[in-house]
Order: sequence, then C-alpha cells, then structure tokens
Amino acid sequence: MVRMNSRELLWMGVMLLGLGACRKDVAMPDPIPMPEPIPVPNGTLRLKLVPEWEGQPLALYTEYRNYVDQRVNVELLKMYWGEVRLFNEPYEWALRDVVYFNLGNGPVSVDLVADSGMYSGFRARLGVPASLNAANPASYAASHPLSVNNGTYWTWATGYRFLMIEGRYDLDPQSTAPLIASYALHPGMEPCYLPMEFVPSEGIRIIAGTTTEVIVKVAVDRFFHSPTGNIDLATENAAHGNNLPLAIKLSENAVQSMSVE
Amino acid sequence: MKKVVLIALVLVSVGCRKDLGMGEDVRVTEVDTPFLLDLPPGAPPMVLPADAPMTEASVRLGKALFFDPQLSRDGTIACASCHFPDRAFSDTVPVSKGIEGRLGMRNSPPLLNLAWHPAFFRDGGVPTLEQQAIAPIHDTQEMDFNIHFAAERVRDEEPYARLSRLAYGRPLDAFLLTRALATYQRTLVSGWSRYDRFLQGDMDALSEAEQRGLALFNGPDLKCGTCHGGFDLSDHRYHNIGLYTLSPDPGRERISLVVSDHGKFKTPTLRNIALTAPYMHDGTFATLEEVMDHFAFGGQAAPNKSPLVAGFTITLEQRLDLIAFLHALTDERPLDQVH
Repeated sequence: MVRMNSRELLWMGVMLLGLGACRKDVAMPDPIPMPEPIPVPNGTLRLKLVPEWEGQPLALYTEYRNYVDQRVNVELLKMYWGEVRLFNEPYEWALRDVVYFNLGNGPVSVDLVADSGMYSGFRARLGVPASLNAANPASYAASHPLSVNNGTYWTWATGYRFLMIEGRYDLDPQSTAPLIASYALHPGMEPCYLPMEFVPSEGIRIIAGTTTEVIVKVAVDRFFHSPTGNIDLATENAAHGNNLPLAIKLSENAVQSMSVE
Repeated sequence: MKKVVLIALVLVSVGCRKDLGMGEDVRVTEVDTPFLLDLPPGAPPMVLPADAPMTEASVRLGKALFFDPQLSRDGTIACASCHFPDRAFSDTVPVSKGIEGRLGMRNSPPLLNLAWHPAFFRDGGVPTLEQQAIAPIHDTQEMDFNIHFAAERVRDEEPYARLSRLAYGRPLDAFLLTRALATYQRTLVSGWSRYDRFLQGDMDALSEAEQRGLALFNGPDLKCGTCHGGFDLSDHRYHNIGLYTLSPDPGRERISLVVSDHGKFKTPTLRNIALTAPYMHDGTFATLEEVMDHFAFGGQAAPNKSPLVAGFTITLEQRLDLIAFLHALTDERPLDQVH
C-alpha cells in the first residue's frame, strides 16, 4: 500500500486542479487564479556538522597522522553551504541561500525552518551562490554569515572562500619537533561550487512544531585523500585563488568526506 | 569647462540642540547639496550608483576618510599613505608599505578617472569602487583592519558624525564608509593637460617636439594608442606585455582562472604618467626611458605576450619627442576638487 504524506497529497491536489483547468474556450474568460498554496505547518531541520579525524572528534592544534603518516594538525576550519534544500524527487524545497559553519570549536548546528512532511534527503553546494558571492559584503551586518567579520571574504576577488582549512605539518613521520611548516587551502570561485546530496537511510521527517536533527559527519582526514585525488602537503600546501586544480581537488575531497548517519 | 550637477538628491538632516537661554529645544536644519563636479571637455558622461549620491557632505566625508590613518589597525596608514595627491594619487616606490612596514603586492596605481573604470586593481578583480574600498582596509599587508571596526572607530568623531548624518541620514557604518570613499575617489578627474587643450583646438598647447611625439604615439610604427587610447588613455583591458617570460605574478589569471591570462594586467592610464614613477604592475621600471626601452626591445618571450608588443626602432630624437609628449599628459590643475 502506498502511503502519502500531507505534502504529497497537497501536490496531488494542485496537479488535479491544473488538469481540470486545461480546456479550450472560444470566449476567453478571465484567467482563473492559481489556488493559493495551502499553508503547511512548519518544523525545524537542524543540521549538525560534526568534524572528525579518523572517526574521533577533531580538536584544533592536535597532532594527527595523515594518509601517508605525515604529522599534521588543523588550526582553522570554516565552510559555506549554499542553496540548502530538502528534496523528494522530482521536487525541492529551498531552505536557506547560504549557511556558514565555523568548525574550529567542534560541532556546529544550524536550524532551518522547513515544511512538515517526509523527505528523501537534502542537497546543498559547498560554497556561496554566485549572486551572493558577487555582492558587497559591507552591506551585511557584522553577525551575518557573509559579514567580512568571518574572515572568509577575498577582497581582491570580491568573493568568498568557500572552504578554509589551515594548519601545520611535518613531512618526517619520525620527527618529534614542533610542527612548523604551514598549509592554507582556500577553495573558492565558481569551479569549486560543488553539489552535495545527503540521503539518510530512513529519510527526513519534519514534524510541525518540533526539531529534526540530522548529523553530518565531516571526516577532515579525508580532505587530504580520496579515491579521486590525494593532496601531497609537500607540494600542495597553498591554494589561495592561485591553484585552481588543487582547490577543486580539495573541494571534491571535502564533499566526499561528508556523510549523514 | 562645464559645471555638471551630477546628483539632484538633497538630503535634509534635522538636528536638535538645547538652547540654555531659551530653555527649549531649537531645531537646527542642515541641508546637503549636490557636489558640483567639474568635468573636462571630452569626458564621457559619469554614471553614479543610485546608492552613492555625490553631495557636498558625501565627498567631504570620503575625503576625510581617505586621509585618516585610523582606518588601519594600528592607526598608522591612511589611503593617502600610498596615494599621494601630488603624484596623481600614486606612490613613489615600486611597492608600497603597509602597517609595520609590510610590503604590498603590486605598485600603487594612480587614482584618477576611476568613475569610468569597469573594474579595479591591476587584475580587474573588483567590479566596483565601493567593493574596492574594502580591500586595502582588510589586506594584512596594507591596513590589516576590519571595515566594521574602522567605521565604529571614527563613527562618533567629527567631522564623521555630522557629515554622515548629512550625506546619508544615519551614523557612519561599513556600508556608508565604502560609499563615501568611492564617491570621493570619483571626484578625482583628470583631463586638463596641455594634451587636452591641444585636442580642443589650442594648437600652441603642445610644443613641436611634443606634437612629433604625439604623432609617433598614434603612428603605425609604435601604435601606443591602440591600448592607450580614448579619454583615459587606456582600453581598460588586460595584456601581457612581456615583462617576464614567466610572470611571477599571475595577474588576470588569478581572477579569470584562464591560463592564457597569465601575466596580463589592466592597461594603465597614461594621464599624469610623468608623476607616477615607478612604472609597471610591480614598479620594475624607474623611469619613462626604461619603459620606452622595454617596448622598443619588444619585451620577453612570454607565450601569451600581446602581438602589439613586437618592438620598434626609433631614433634618439624620436625617443625624446615621445617622452616630451608623455610629459604633456600632466594635468595643469590639481585632481582633487574637494576643497
């Protein structure tokens, strides 16, 4: 038996009304106004991003080992998500144009108002939509996700760094010296605005008046390696708008590193 | 010379003060008025952003900000620290120093005729003057500050409090700071050189040597005017002129992400060129003679070098004529009209 939730019933109703209006009439009457959408009670989708290193909570300035056993730490981790939307094929429901996550102090949550109903999952893009990316950041209040106060704005290119990861490393696995050499990887610009899709096994149920939490694990160790591209800190330790292939590779790895429970 | 009223918007700011003698509030009205900007003959129409009116108060606010080192983190560097009015608002060193003596990235360009520029910085990475104003304030090598903090720092001081209220009807904030700085910079107009007078029919404005230099400049052998043409003596496009075989600075490529844009930079204006040494995006040439030698030689063999930079041969006298002409591009009056 096929069960339909309130959202699916609403769409079915709208489609039936639309079909009923399709007829040829010689004397053209005034156009029939589209039916007002039936208000759907709102709930809250809470996206909680949890940064980890090899399955353990990420701690800034803590020394880790990367995929080739090099010593590495993370000192800064920020990212934007653009065009966050819930979906039930073939439909999407926009939730927020841009969300900012500063993951330097551990898990971060963002609450998004959503229509109640059952959804397959949600989509977003890593970065900032083009229209917002080109806007003047001086027009945003200091508390806005796109405020220059977040230190994510590229003043010379009038755009945002979609992802910022910085830290230090030592190529010698045997060394016990303090980590000195630094890396700073900052993908941005249109080619790095990559799509992401998250489909929890049981879908996402938004219930009116309540909060549904979805945990997104961010496997930061996998920023540096993936089946499609490893990052060698010996030579690939800086991307600041000047190394597009590296910026895209890191963005792809970051997208692949994120998953929902 | 024509007086042009650019903005019809008049903002009225009403303030209250307590008059101790009368024991009652007395309303004091200050009225902002359009700034009357002189535009030189031949200047294209100036189109202003709707949210950046050019009024007496807004340009004075912008000028005060431009010369105020409080916009830098440690209060030592103003916009004017690297853009000297007597140097056509450029600097005298290859690369300017920011706070704590930090070296910048590129040569400080002159600030003139910016209202007609389609993009800013030598790589054209910033599309508006308002957005450009943010960059040096945030650049760690320049002012190393934050535009919100900068606005807060000066907001309650005079003349900022009064001028901001007059110009925009509210206290100074980051948004208005970018507007005011941009508006003031739009008033820096060049177009009153002897060359301009010559173009307007004053045949005595240029010496014979300068006229010969002009002919060379636009002639088929040198073709300088191909890129350095128009009112601003710049096509505002991006070219690799063979300064390096492989430019250490990606130039336009940093913005466009197109490899063939490597080492390309926006054609600089030649207006007031005699005042803006050193030359090129990195200030690598100290004199106009060195610049001339570069173009005569034809530059380095960069793979994407402009075909227009192919080298040429000129006599010593022609070289002197050409440089004499370039000196005739200096304005005969100050660029700054805000007094």
